[in-house]
Amino acid sequence: MGIGIILLIVAGVVVFYFVSVYNGLQTLQTQIAASIQEIGNQLKRQASLIPNLESSVRGYMSHEKGIFDMLTTARSSATKAANSGSVSDIDKAISDIQSAMPKISIAIEDNPEIKADSTVNNFMTELGDTADKLMYSRRSLIDLTQSYNQKLLMFPSSLIASMFGFKAEKGLATATTGAHVEVSDAETQDVKVNL
Amino acid sequence: MTHYQLIARNKQKSFLIIAVFIAFIAAAAYIMAKGFGYGLDVVGIALIVSGAMSFVSYWFSDQIILGISGARPATRKEFFDFYTVTENLCIGQRMKVPKLYVIEDTAMNAFATGRDPDHAVVCATTGLLARLDRAELEGVVAHELSHVQNYDIRLMSIVTILVGLIALVADWMLRMTAWGGGKKSDRSEGGQLQVVFFVVGIVLALLSPIIAQLIQLAISRNREFLADATGVGMTKNPDGLASALAKISQDREPLEAANKATAHLYISNPLKNVRGSVGMFSSLFSTHPPVGERIKALRGI
Repeated sequence: MGIGIILLIVAGVVVFYFVSVYNGLQTLQTQIAASIQEIGNQLKRQASLIPNLESSVRGYMSHEKGIFDMLTTARSSATKAANSGSVSDIDKAISDIQSAMPKISIAIEDNPEIKADSTVNNFMTELGDTADKLMYSRRSLIDLTQSYNQKLLMFPSSLIASMFGFKAEKGLATATTGAHVEVSDAETQDVKVNL
Repeated sequence: MTHYQLIARNKQKSFLIIAVFIAFIAAAAYIMAKGFGYGLDVVGIALIVSGAMSFVSYWFSDQIILGISGARPATRKEFFDFYTVTENLCIGQRMKVPKLYVIEDTAMNAFATGRDPDHAVVCATTGLLARLDRAELEGVVAHELSHVQNYDIRLMSIVTILVGLIALVADWMLRMTAWGGGKKSDRSEGGQLQVVFFVVGIVLALLSPIIAQLIQLAISRNREFLADATGVGMTKNPDGLASALAKISQDREPLEAANKATAHLYISNPLKNVRGSVGMFSSLFSTHPPVGERIKALRGI
């Protein structure tokens, strides 16, 4: 076999590798974009559930004004995030609903009348499920971003990525410092139980 | 072994099972044709029939298995947690949501079937859905979805229909000759047919351990450990599946809808505490690793 043919085969393999890495990166980028849209989609669902919950509990707890304010904030930030699709808006919307949920649960637990209302219960389980769906769509984004960014850093796919100017994806904006990654002194102490 | 190699292996094994099945039926037909003095065209018919059966087992195994098990579709309204938990896990995995079915039975069990991730079915008993909480159910569904992703479902369903069928036919034929009536004095054609049934039944019954071995070879207990681990990768919550398995193992009730052919599909052995030949079959040729070992492995994650 002539040396020309061998070179040709090698070149073919290299080209094939380039194409497959390039296409793999493009696929991941579109998947990441789609997973962000999915989060927006779930936020929209949440935003449309909240008014229903509001109207069905309004009769029971007209005195609990704070809760309605929180629900309104949560809804408006969810709508904003769903429309803009920006990751920081999404983070805010999620934290808004997460801070409101426990208070609503407590108010419902305290009030036997609401607890017995099946409409309210339905909305609460739907909201809880939407929270799960949000969690899983965020996980999808995290996983995709991880495998994309890994390809950008690992040799030899990093060569191709830099050649075509692929940029690292941010994924979910999670602060790398702060209370959620630190262990406080109190948490390292043994738990004392008085019986 | 990577995920992709595993899928490739499962596809190869599925093909191999079909090939072995067709060869087995043809050989059996040939022997019978020689023995009873029929013409060799019987072998041709057997080849066509076994080919058609393989086709059916590839395309319709899920429907057949659901039919045998008496399953009905699960709606979002009636089984909210089952439905939504599956939906959520599929969002996380970016896979198509499988069709969901339930079996009306107080025993706790679940299985997955179908031919590929786009045509998959997850089925649970109502007993399981009633007694597990959301996190535990999530663990079980994630386990089943890993079977779907790994193409375990294709292999296991084909095994069920083709290999399981031989075991079931052996059972039926023996039963028909033992209790099916037919007076001794009756020496007409019916009598001859009964002799044929008896011989076929005996031969198949003798082959039964080999069939069981075949099922085991194809299924391998590691599959369950692997699905447990992959499932935990989806939920990131090993405790959910571990406590579900603990609950399932404490449940002493056998599942009536399960039989020799479908037993290996389930998340935990459905034939425990069944007396007689079926029970012996399940303990001798166990396709499931002990639940204790699985829980220990999960607690170690």
